[in-house]
Amino acid sequence: MASINAYILIYCDSALCKSNVFSGSYCCSGYIVAYILCTVVRLITTSTLTQGLERIPDQLGYLVISEDGVLASAGELENDEHTAGVIMQMMRTACRFRLQGAAEPPFKRMSVMLEDYVYTVTVSGQKVFVVKRQNNHREPVVV
Amino acid sequence: MESTLELHLDDTMKNPAIIGVLCTDQQGHILGCRGSLSDEHGGVVSVLARQVASLTKDPTDSPTVCLESDSGNILVRAHGTITVAVHKMSS
Repeated sequence: MASINAYILIYCDSALCKSNVFSGSYCCSGYIVAYILCTVVRLITTSTLTQGLERIPDQLGYLVISEDGVLASAGELENDEHTAGVIMQMMRTACRFRLQGAAEPPFKRMSVMLEDYVYTVTVSGQKVFVVKRQNNHREPVVV
Repeated sequence: MESTLELHLDDTMKNPAIIGVLCTDQQGHILGCRGSLSDEHGGVVSVLARQVASLTKDPTDSPTVCLESDSGNILVRAHGTITVAVHKMSS
């Protein structure tokens, strides 16, 4: 995202300079246009991220969290900063887990199973995705 | 005094799907361990169990944390003052 911001700023600035009408007011307009473009890109990116989460069966809510904070939230997890904070703490702790001889954390997904619901957590693209789902208790099948 | 616990750990390891088991107290001190889980994992396991407790308001609800990968799952759960971790192969 930082590189996209930088590219748009550099492009607008150079375009205005080449037009030979460079002045203080046009410079400000360029940066405003760049800011609007960046905001639109960010909104489209967040919407793309959450589209898939909406379609997960039995989902009761979700969170998308980055190092800077909560990027998106919905359902029972909407504005739930407490849960977001606890989940991030747990992810940092769990990432310190190392089995013998392994360089990578030993998990792709973390599930937190409670009586009535389950939090399923995974990391992708430097973002943490948390989905709260109904816990459909399944008894083990004896074969 | 810990012979009962040691017996239980050995019985747990008899299950072919289980490749590691570990018990710690609330401070992360190891009470017993077998297989792939060892002393170095006690701290992380006890801290995970402590952190997950704040996700529920119901004191009787003990959450289970499951770290899932292609090679196996590590399940962590607190029972009173003792935290148990089990490393199971994926079925």
